[in-house]
Amino acid sequence: MSPVNPTRRQTLGLTAVLAGALSLAACNRGGGEAGAEGGGGGGTVMLSVSTQTNPFFVQLVDGARKAAEELGLTLEVQDASDDASTQANHLQNAITQGVACVIVNPTDSDAVSASIEALNAAEIPVIAVDRNATSGELVSYIASDNVAGGAQAAQALAEAIEDTGQILVLQGVPGASATRDRGQGFTEEIANHGDIEVVAEQTANFDRAEGLNVATNLLQANPDVVGIFAHNDEMALGAIEALGPRAGSEVFVVGFDGTGNGLAAVEAGTMHATIAQQPGELGAQAVEQAQTVVEGGSPEAEVQVDVVVVTAENVSEYL
Amino acid sequence: MTAPLLRLDHVTKTFGPVTVIDDVSVDVLPGRVQVLLGENGAGKSTLIKMMSGIYQPDGGRILIDGNETHLPTVKAAEAHGVATIHQELNLVPQLSVAENIMLGRTPQKLGLVDRSSLRRHASAALERIGLRVPLDRPVGTLGVAKQQLVEIAKALSQQARILILDEPTAALTGTEIDQLFSVVEDLRADQVGMVFISHHLDEIARIGDTVTVLRDGQFVQEVPADTPENELIRLMVGRDIEDQFPRRAPEQPGDVLLSVEGLSSEGHFEDVSFEVRAGEVLGIAGLVGAGRTEVLRAVFGADRYDRGTVAVAGDQLPPGDVGAAIEAGLGLVPEDRKAQGLVLEHSVQDNTGLATFRRHARAGLVDRAGEKRRADDVTSRLNVRMAGLGQPIRNLSGGNQQKVVFGRWVLADTRILLLDEPTRGVDVGAKVEIYELINAITDNGGAVLMVSSELPEALGMSDRLLVMSAGRATGVLESNTASEDDVMALAVSNIEPAQTISSEGEAA
Amino acid sequence: MTATAQTTSPTRRSTLSKVGHWAMNNGALVGLILLCIGLFIATPAFLTIPNIINIGIQAAVVAILAFGMTFVIVTAGIDLSVGSVAALGAMVSAYSFASLNLPGILTVVVGLGVGMLAGSISGLAIAYGKLPAFIATLAMMSIARGLTLVVSNGTPIDTSDTVNIFGSRVAGIPVPIFAMVLAGVVCWFILSRTVLGRSMYAVGGNIEAARLSGIPVKRVLVWVYALSGLFAGLAGLVLAGRLRSAGPQAGSGYELDAIAAVVIGGASLAGGSGRATGTLIGAILLAVIRNGLNILNVSSFWQQVVIGCVIALAVGFDVFRRKTDS
Repeated sequence: MSPVNPTRRQTLGLTAVLAGALSLAACNRGGGEAGAEGGGGGGTVMLSVSTQTNPFFVQLVDGARKAAEELGLTLEVQDASDDASTQANHLQNAITQGVACVIVNPTDSDAVSASIEALNAAEIPVIAVDRNATSGELVSYIASDNVAGGAQAAQALAEAIEDTGQILVLQGVPGASATRDRGQGFTEEIANHGDIEVVAEQTANFDRAEGLNVATNLLQANPDVVGIFAHNDEMALGAIEALGPRAGSEVFVVGFDGTGNGLAAVEAGTMHATIAQQPGELGAQAVEQAQTVVEGGSPEAEVQVDVVVVTAENVSEYL
Repeated sequence: MTAPLLRLDHVTKTFGPVTVIDDVSVDVLPGRVQVLLGENGAGKSTLIKMMSGIYQPDGGRILIDGNETHLPTVKAAEAHGVATIHQELNLVPQLSVAENIMLGRTPQKLGLVDRSSLRRHASAALERIGLRVPLDRPVGTLGVAKQQLVEIAKALSQQARILILDEPTAALTGTEIDQLFSVVEDLRADQVGMVFISHHLDEIARIGDTVTVLRDGQFVQEVPADTPENELIRLMVGRDIEDQFPRRAPEQPGDVLLSVEGLSSEGHFEDVSFEVRAGEVLGIAGLVGAGRTEVLRAVFGADRYDRGTVAVAGDQLPPGDVGAAIEAGLGLVPEDRKAQGLVLEHSVQDNTGLATFRRHARAGLVDRAGEKRRADDVTSRLNVRMAGLGQPIRNLSGGNQQKVVFGRWVLADTRILLLDEPTRGVDVGAKVEIYELINAITDNGGAVLMVSSELPEALGMSDRLLVMSAGRATGVLESNTASEDDVMALAVSNIEPAQTISSEGEAA
Repeated sequence: MTATAQTTSPTRRSTLSKVGHWAMNNGALVGLILLCIGLFIATPAFLTIPNIINIGIQAAVVAILAFGMTFVIVTAGIDLSVGSVAALGAMVSAYSFASLNLPGILTVVVGLGVGMLAGSISGLAIAYGKLPAFIATLAMMSIARGLTLVVSNGTPIDTSDTVNIFGSRVAGIPVPIFAMVLAGVVCWFILSRTVLGRSMYAVGGNIEAARLSGIPVKRVLVWVYALSGLFAGLAGLVLAGRLRSAGPQAGSGYELDAIAAVVIGGASLAGGSGRATGTLIGAILLAVIRNGLNILNVSSFWQQVVIGCVIALAVGFDVFRRKTDS
C-alpha cells in the first residue's frame, strides 16, 4: 500500500462526504417528484413542533397525524422541546434526510428563520403552522388569528360582566408573540367598552401554578375585580383556583386555547369562556397543504383557521 | 558599610485596636541576607507585606536607595525591584516553565506569542540561577523545590534587586535546600539584597548574615546569624527553653500494639514491615516521596493497599476503613493540617469533637452539653490558647490548631497515634508542648508512629527510627545512638536516578 | 473625661454595636423587614392578614425545596434536580391515583417515595460513582422531567383528594404553610441536633478532615441527596395539591429559586455553613418580592431585574460581612 500523507487523506475524506451529501440531495429532489414511495424519506413530510408538553401542541400533532393517515402521507414528527437550537438541528436533519416537505411550528419566529432559509436553499418547501417566521420563504402559513382571538375574548368577557367593572389580565411569557398578539387584540377591543377598567396586567408565564399565585396577589390588591382574562387556559385554570367558589358566579374568567382542561372548566361553569384555536384543525390544514405541495400542486399562501369562542352553550361540540 | 537598598524606618502598623508592628526598623543591604526571626504573630509577615506593597505603614517611612518611597501596590514595589517568593507559589501549574517565567510579559509578534523569544528569555533566566529543567514542561509536574526555583528565576528576570524569601524551605528536603542555598550564594555575589524567613534555626546560621528578632510586633534585637540557637530561641520566645527535644521514653516498652506486615501499594511503597510497642515512639524518616506519608495513611485506612496486613494488638484491621481503624484505637494527625486536619471555618469545639461526636450521640442526637464539657476539658488540659470554644479555629495559631487535632484523638481514647510532620508550621515554644503531648501518650501506655522530615526532630523525639527510601524500608536505627549521616545513608540507599524523577512528580 | 461619661458611653456604644452586629449577622432578615416596611408604605393591601397568609402559601413550595437544598449546600453540593423531582413525584402520585386507583394515603407515600428514590440515585452517583454533584443532578433533572412527560403523556393529571389536602385549608389552617413549617422544623432539627446534621457540616467544611475523623462521608452524602429528594417530593405534593392536578411542566426553574433562597439565607456555596432559619427567610423574601411586585403592578419585564438585584445584593452583603468578620 502506498503511503498517503495525512493531509491528503483528510482532503479525500472530506471530498467523499461532500460528494455523498450532494448526491443524496439530488436523489431526494427526484424522490419528491416521484411521490411517496422509496426510502431515504423521499415522500416523507417532517413536522417539527415546538413542544409536546403543552396539550395544545399535542392536539395539533394529533390532528396532523390523523390527516396524514387519511391522505396516506408519511409524517415524521420531531419535538423541539421549546428549544430553538434543537429545532434548528431537526430542520438540518430534514435537509440531510431530504424530506419532500417540512411543516414547522417555530419555537421562535426569529430563530427559525435561518433554518428556513437553509431549507429554501435545499429547495425543500416549508409550511409554517401556528407561528410565523420573520424571514425565509414559506409556501404556506396556517394560523389562527391571535389578534382576532384576543378581541373575541374581550367581547366575551365584556358580555359576561355587562360592560362594566374592573378586570385583570394574566399575560403570557413576556415578549412571546402569542402574548403580544392576544394582548394587543384584547386591549384594542376592551377600549371600546368604556366602563371596563383593566386594573392590573401581570405575567404568569403561561404556567398554572404561577397563574394561581399571581391571581391571588392581584385579587388581594384589587378585591372588586369582576373579570379575568388569561392569555392561555393554564393560567386561567390557576386563576380559577385562586378564586375558589367565586369563579363563574362573581368573577368571570376567560381563557385561551381551548385545551381539554380548559373546555372541562367551561363545561363545569368555572371558566366563562375559552377561545378555542382548534389546534387539531391547524395540524390537519398544514398536512393538507403539504399534500398539495408533495403532489406538485400550488398550496394556499395563507390559511386562516377559525377561532371559536367556546362557552357553556357550545362546549359540547368541542369536548 | 554600604547603603541599604531598602530600609523600613521606624514603621508601625495597626489593624483596628491591635498594633501588629510597633516602631520596627529593618535594613536590606546589597549582597546580604537579612533574617527575620520570631514566632507566629510576631509580625514577620506584616513587615514583608510592607516591603512588597501589600500593606502601607501607618507610621514611619520606607526608604529605597535612601529616598522615601511609597509602595501603594505590589506593582509599585515590583517596579522598585522588590520581589517576594511566598510559601504558596504563584505559578500556573498547567503552563510550561518558560511561559510561567514570562507570564504577564509574554513576547509577542503580530499578536501571536513569539515562541523563540519566549524560550530565549526564559532560558537566560534559568541560566542565571543554574537551574536545569525542560522549558516546555508544565510547572505543575515539577517538584515543589524546582517550582520555587522557577519562581525565583522569574523574579530575577524582572530585574529584582530585593528578594524576599518567605519560608522557602518549609516544603523542601535536604538536598533541595542545598540547591536553593547555593542559588542564594550566587545572588549574594550578584549584590542582590535578600530577606529570609524560616522556622529552622540551623538554616539561619548557614545562610543568614544578620538576624532581626521580633516578638509581639516589637523589635527585640539585631544579632549576627552565627548566634547560638539557644540564644536565638531565648530572644524569640522571651524565656529559656531548656531542651528542644524532651523525649522521655519508658524504661521498658510494653507489648506490641501495632504490627505491620509486608504492606505494599503499587507505585507508592513495597513490602514495609514494622512493629510499635506500647510506650514507644517509632519515627519514620526519609526523603520527600519515599512513601512515608503513604504508609501512614494506609495503616490508618485512609488509602487502600495491595498486599500485607495491619494488626492492632493482634487483631487484623480491614484495609481502607478509617472507621474501623479509629474503633481499634488509631488516630491520624495529618501532614497538611488545614487541608486534611481541620474544618477551618468551624469552631474549636466542633473541631475537637470531630472524631467523637458520633460515639457520644444517643438515638442519633448529638450530646451537645457533653461535647462542650469534653472540649472544655481537653483544651484546658492541652493548654490551647484561644478566645473561647466558639472561636473559629482558623483564627488560632498553628501550634494551637495542632493541639486541637491532638485533643481530638485524646478524646477518642486513641492508643496508637500516627503523626505526620506534627510540628510543621508550629512555633518553637509550642513545639515543645507538642513533644510533651507525645510523651504523655507514651507514658499512658500508648504508641506513636511519627513521620518527620526534620532530622533533629526525627532522631530527638523517636526511640527507634525506621528509614524509608524510594518506597522501601531500608533500615531501623536506635535513635539515641544514630547520627544524621546514618539516616541520610539509608534514606538514599534505594534510589536510582530514574526513581528520583518519578518520586519528584508525585511530591508535586 | 468625667466618670459619668466613662460609664455611660461604653454601654451605649455596646448596645449600638450589638444591634449593628446582630443586623450584620441577620442581613436577610433585616432586608426582609425593610422590604415589608417599604411595601406597607407603598400599598395598604400588603400588610393584611389574608395577604400575609398568601405570601406564606406562595413561599411554601420553594421553601420546602430550599430546606432540602440546605442539606445539599451545607455539604458543598448542589441539587439541580429538585424542581423536576417535585414534578415527577407529584405526577407519579397522580398517575397512581388516576390509573392505578391506589388509595389516597398511598398516593402520598408514592409521591414522597419517588422523590426520595430519585434523590438517593443522585446521591449514590455522587458518593460512590464520584460524579460531580452538578453533573449528577443535572442528569437527574433531565431524567425526572422526561419521566414526568412519559407518565403524563404531556397533559396534566388530576391528583387524589388526599394529595389535594396538601394545597387546601384544614380547620382554617392553610396546609402549605403547615407543610412548610414542618419541613423547616425537620430541617432545623436534623442540622442542629443530629449526628447526621453535624456530619453534613463537617463534610461540607472539609471533606478530607471529616473522612480522616471517621465520618462515613459517602453514607452522609447519599442521605443528603435522599433527603433533598424527599423534600422535593413533599414540595411536589403541595404544588400539585394547590392546583388539584400534577402538571408536566410544574416546578420548572424552581431549583434556581431554591438555591437563591438558601444563599440569600446566608449559606455559602463553598459548604460548611447554612441554617434552616436563614433558608426560611430567603424563601419568604422571594415570595414577598413577587407578591409586592404583583400588588404594585410592576411590569413583568422589570420583575426579573428586581429579583436578580436582590440575589446579588444579598450575597454581596454576605461576602462583605465575612470580609469584615475576618
